[in-house]
Amino acid sequence: MTIVLLLIPLGLVLVALAAWALFWAVDSGQYDGDVEAQGLIAVERDEPA
Amino acid sequence: MAAAVADSRSAFGIEGMHCSNCAASVERALRSLEGIHSVSVNAATGKARVDWDSGKLTLKPIFAAIRKLGFRPVPLAGEAAEAAAVKERRSALKRIGVAGLGMMQTMMFVYALYASGAHGIDPGIARYLQIAGMLLTTPVLLYSGMPFYQAALHDLQRRRVGMDVPVALALTVAFTASVYHTLLGTGEVYYDSVTMFIFLLSLGRFAEMTVRQRSLNAGEALARTVPAEATRVNTQGVTEKVPLAYVNPGDRLRVVKGAAVPVDALLVSSLASLDESLITGESRPVARRPGDAVAGGAINTGNTIEVICEKPAAQSTLAGIIELLQLASSEKPRTVAVADRIASWFSIGTLALALAVAIFWSVIDPQRAMPATLAVLVVTCPCALSLAIPATFAAATSYLARRGLLVVKPDAIERLRQVDSVLLDKTGTLTDGAAAATVVNTIGITPAEALTMAAALERGSDHPLARVFQPFADPDVTAVDFHEHPGHGVEAVVQDRRWKIGTREFVAGPSNAEDDSLLYLKSDDGLAATFAIREHVVPDAADSVRELQLQGLNVIIASGDTPEAVRAVAATLGIGEYHARMTPRHKLEFVEQTQAKGHCVLMVGDGINDAPVLAAASVSCAMTQGAAIAQAAADLLLLNGSLRSLATGVRVAIHARRVVRQNLTWALVYNLVSVPLAAAGLMAPWVAALGMSISSLAVVTNAARLAWDRT
Repeated sequence: MTIVLLLIPLGLVLVALAAWALFWAVDSGQYDGDVEAQGLIAVERDEPA
Repeated sequence: MAAAVADSRSAFGIEGMHCSNCAASVERALRSLEGIHSVSVNAATGKARVDWDSGKLTLKPIFAAIRKLGFRPVPLAGEAAEAAAVKERRSALKRIGVAGLGMMQTMMFVYALYASGAHGIDPGIARYLQIAGMLLTTPVLLYSGMPFYQAALHDLQRRRVGMDVPVALALTVAFTASVYHTLLGTGEVYYDSVTMFIFLLSLGRFAEMTVRQRSLNAGEALARTVPAEATRVNTQGVTEKVPLAYVNPGDRLRVVKGAAVPVDALLVSSLASLDESLITGESRPVARRPGDAVAGGAINTGNTIEVICEKPAAQSTLAGIIELLQLASSEKPRTVAVADRIASWFSIGTLALALAVAIFWSVIDPQRAMPATLAVLVVTCPCALSLAIPATFAAATSYLARRGLLVVKPDAIERLRQVDSVLLDKTGTLTDGAAAATVVNTIGITPAEALTMAAALERGSDHPLARVFQPFADPDVTAVDFHEHPGHGVEAVVQDRRWKIGTREFVAGPSNAEDDSLLYLKSDDGLAATFAIREHVVPDAADSVRELQLQGLNVIIASGDTPEAVRAVAATLGIGEYHARMTPRHKLEFVEQTQAKGHCVLMVGDGINDAPVLAAASVSCAMTQGAAIAQAAADLLLLNGSLRSLATGVRVAIHARRVVRQNLTWALVYNLVSVPLAAAGLMAPWVAALGMSISSLAVVTNAARLAWDRT
């Protein structure tokens, strides 16, 4: 059963990773309501600076 | 404080309000400021309206007072409001995500503790699992649970109890007990309950927020369509982009296909096709000819056009509509104020009950005291009162605004459902003032001369029928010494002769002629011509009247016009009761008499001439367009000239009432069933959290249904 001593902290780390990924996705606008928008980023023309 | 002169008014959004108590605390804080005249804060729409004395106060200390309470004042219209909504949504999503991940992982750890029960578990491992649970739950509580604590804290600072106080208490009690037991090494832990509460309740809040953001901002939807800058054409024909605020009357602006006309303007280029649905609710494009006025907010559906700005953007029709909508949505209907108070008592009752349950079970069976108390704290749901009622009114207002009916006084929706009689003005309401004049006979002049003379005489008159002669106007023939006799006719001197045009009585003295719909023209030499006027009935008036009648309303025409003209329109529309030759005073008396008989009267008029009648009616509706919108004194404004929207309004008002009833019934049944179960210890805390979330979601969704359904 000593393996849980390793697995439980690992579980905590994975949760933290998942939370970080979620934060990144939300902040980059993935959930702002328009399902199509993210897919169109690739074909958008770059704004001239 | 009451002596403050309200000469300034502002409507703005407030971020971070979760319940009616937050709104009440903002209201109280603002009222205590020197120079504030009146304050109304609506929690469901997150909007506030403040009247103040600009001599004693500015917006800055008002905003500072709101910030001091922990809320953020934000501008309402346009991009700032949009950005605020996106920010609120993102932060809510992150909190839910953290709560959800934390909940799942905590469940894994805590399950081992439950599952091991019978066989026993190594005490070291058990302790290890508990500590892992604590490490997971702490960030969930501090991050995802923060909104509940903030809201509860605000309530307590204001010495009030809102729906978040019981929730915050439940979270604190469960978490503190768990940490204590973990550190002590004995006793139950409730980490799973804590994370589950936060997750489920946040999920419910998020759904409410989505519904609110989607359905409650008709005003912002309008504001967003107006471009931030306009394309100005200078004298050399060169175009430049200028911010809307710098567009001045007289500027020549270019509007490409698909863009909105930025300000109220005159069309100077070619024929244009415009979609004015934002302003009137009418979705079919309308044609405008050069020289016609075009309203700001109209979308150009045809080729590129050029217009000359008539009014600065801040004074445009659209700006007026947006302001009215925002003022209306920041005001609080009476029912909502009552519901707010009841909701507050409900929360206090919950706390008292939880305390009783805790004491009772501690004596009878200490094992069950904690779960039962938590369940009671979390399961009770006053949301049907504090969220759903304001949401219902806001959804109804938003729905009607999209169909051209502006609800200016929030109470009007409540009164509208009680209406049983509709009193309609004829001209300008049922008939659009467009009418055709035909010459019946002439004596001594040609028909063409008779029409020209009539046009000259009627030019100075505001009466809608006067317009029928304008196509025949001759700029060389003008009238002087003009006198208008309302309800009878006009007289003036044209080409050195005194002319009269109007009813037979007015022109030729008392008579018992049968046909009253004729207009008579007379000079010094005697009767010169007779005209027949056929009025043009508004296209969907007949259908709309039938719809109103099908809803059980008694439709009545009250017109200042002649009996013959009124009878003709009434017959066309299938209206049985009509009254002719009604002066505004007669109409006022008629409305008062009808109401004295116990009827609830909806009066429809043009909003300016019949303002006293409108003011006397149970509900008033002004049919108005363009610049008159801001001046019209009425509960409702009908912007598209179609009575059909009015029929929709009555239907929605009845529907809104039904939704409020459904929600209150649901709340009653839910709380009556769930609270005893929770108090008896028969309901697991997680079921309680789920029940509360689903219940609040159910009532808010039911309210928002108003804004979605049927066209």
